[in-house]
Amino acid sequence: MLSTLELSPQVLDAQAPIRIAVKNLDFYYGEHKALKNVNLSFRDRHVTALIGPSGCGKSTLLRIFNRIYSLYPEQRATGEVLLDGRNVISNDVDVNELRSRIGMVFQKPTPFPMSIYDNVAFGIRLYEKPPKSELDDRVEGALRRSALWDEVKDKLKSSGMGLSGGQQQRLCIARTIAQKPEVILFDEPTSALDPISTGKIEDLLEQLKSDFTIVIVTHNMQQAARVSQYTAFMYLGEVVEFDATNTIFMNPNKKQTQDYVTGRFG
Amino acid sequence: MSDHIVRSYDADLEGLRRSLAEMGGMSERMLGDSTVALVRRDTALAQKVITADQRLDNLQRDVEEKAVLTIARRQPLANDLRELISAIRIAADIERVGDLAKNIAKRAVAISGQFSPPHRAVVGLEHMSRLVQAQLKDVLDAYAASNEQKAMEVWRRDDEIDALYTSLFRELLTYMMEDPRNITFCTHLLFCAKNVERIGDHTTNIAETIHYLITGQSVEESRPKLDTTNILVDLPAANG
Repeated sequence: MLSTLELSPQVLDAQAPIRIAVKNLDFYYGEHKALKNVNLSFRDRHVTALIGPSGCGKSTLLRIFNRIYSLYPEQRATGEVLLDGRNVISNDVDVNELRSRIGMVFQKPTPFPMSIYDNVAFGIRLYEKPPKSELDDRVEGALRRSALWDEVKDKLKSSGMGLSGGQQQRLCIARTIAQKPEVILFDEPTSALDPISTGKIEDLLEQLKSDFTIVIVTHNMQQAARVSQYTAFMYLGEVVEFDATNTIFMNPNKKQTQDYVTGRFG
Repeated sequence: MSDHIVRSYDADLEGLRRSLAEMGGMSERMLGDSTVALVRRDTALAQKVITADQRLDNLQRDVEEKAVLTIARRQPLANDLRELISAIRIAADIERVGDLAKNIAKRAVAISGQFSPPHRAVVGLEHMSRLVQAQLKDVLDAYAASNEQKAMEVWRRDDEIDALYTSLFRELLTYMMEDPRNITFCTHLLFCAKNVERIGDHTTNIAETIHYLITGQSVEESRPKLDTTNILVDLPAANG
């Protein structure tokens, strides 16, 4: 629906380089076309929020970025998702390498049934074999960056499953950033958390955006308004409006966007 | 303004609009009555205006509380948020209109026993007040109908009132110079004229708020100003 030409000046004039560019992207679950000609750009070191009612394709879009859909043979994507100029949906991309560059945090915390330390070290060991002392440093660094270190430093050997929901989610963030990705995808990262834990994750997003490009899918409109600089509103597989977050939530250009953000449909 | 998924949200917003409509109607009546009281030296009518102001103040507090509560409860966005912010602003403007009308009524009481200058002096003020009453009515109608164009017409017309105020100012000065016994009465009239002119300014504020409510933008251009009384005042001091 939106071509790059229709993007508002606020999005086009932004200084930060584009980290991910989505061009003419279509996506199919078998016969069902779930994304229709999506065009979007994600700025480096900024938070971009994807909002829209259930089934609008926002999670689908997120799952294309790190090729989760490739696990299912009946799902396919056509078009371009350019990460630093390289089309990540082409067949010759090394999916493992791609996933180390694009990390993902899910709605429900997914700690592995192993110690807190090993949970974080797991991601690093997948791709590298650093010496023990360096591994220790990187685990600590990742736990500090995810604001979890002070709470777990005395029990690194105990199970990650024993943490509270909010702590588990931050552990998953630590595991993701330990791999030093460029992009982090958050799929409703706080919808299963209490308000305090949600606040901690939002605070964390603010910190993380100085190093990573962040894409967040959220059903909480206020959360999108708080944490993101750009917001795309999607409906029925199409991008209806993409603009600076302030514009989307204060004075959107499309009536459909306004009706959605003010709770009139969705 | 209807059809939120949560229907009680619509009821909240409609309730606010209703309260504002009531406030608007009251303020129009107060301005009209205070002017009549002044022209006819009707102290009973003036007292009625003074009493009405209390009710207007209460309504304003009520609107403010309801709006703040709605913000806290519903976390409004986009046009809904502007609706609530606008309600708070417009209620404040209308409340000020009430205060200014009350002040005119108080002066009507104060001058009721005074020596009276030629009736012409009051006619000018009456005329100006009628213009402002029309402005107030139009801007409140524009709000009720969400008519941005009509609001901006009110906004542009305010210069006529400024010009009228300037000429009234000169006229009253002339009466005072003619006969010092006119001074008390004319000074009160001068303050009343200033009050009416200020009410005109509040109608333009409301017009600007309506513009913001509907477009999401503030009014950028500056309004034409024809009130030049501030330069008229540097009279003989420079010579002395």
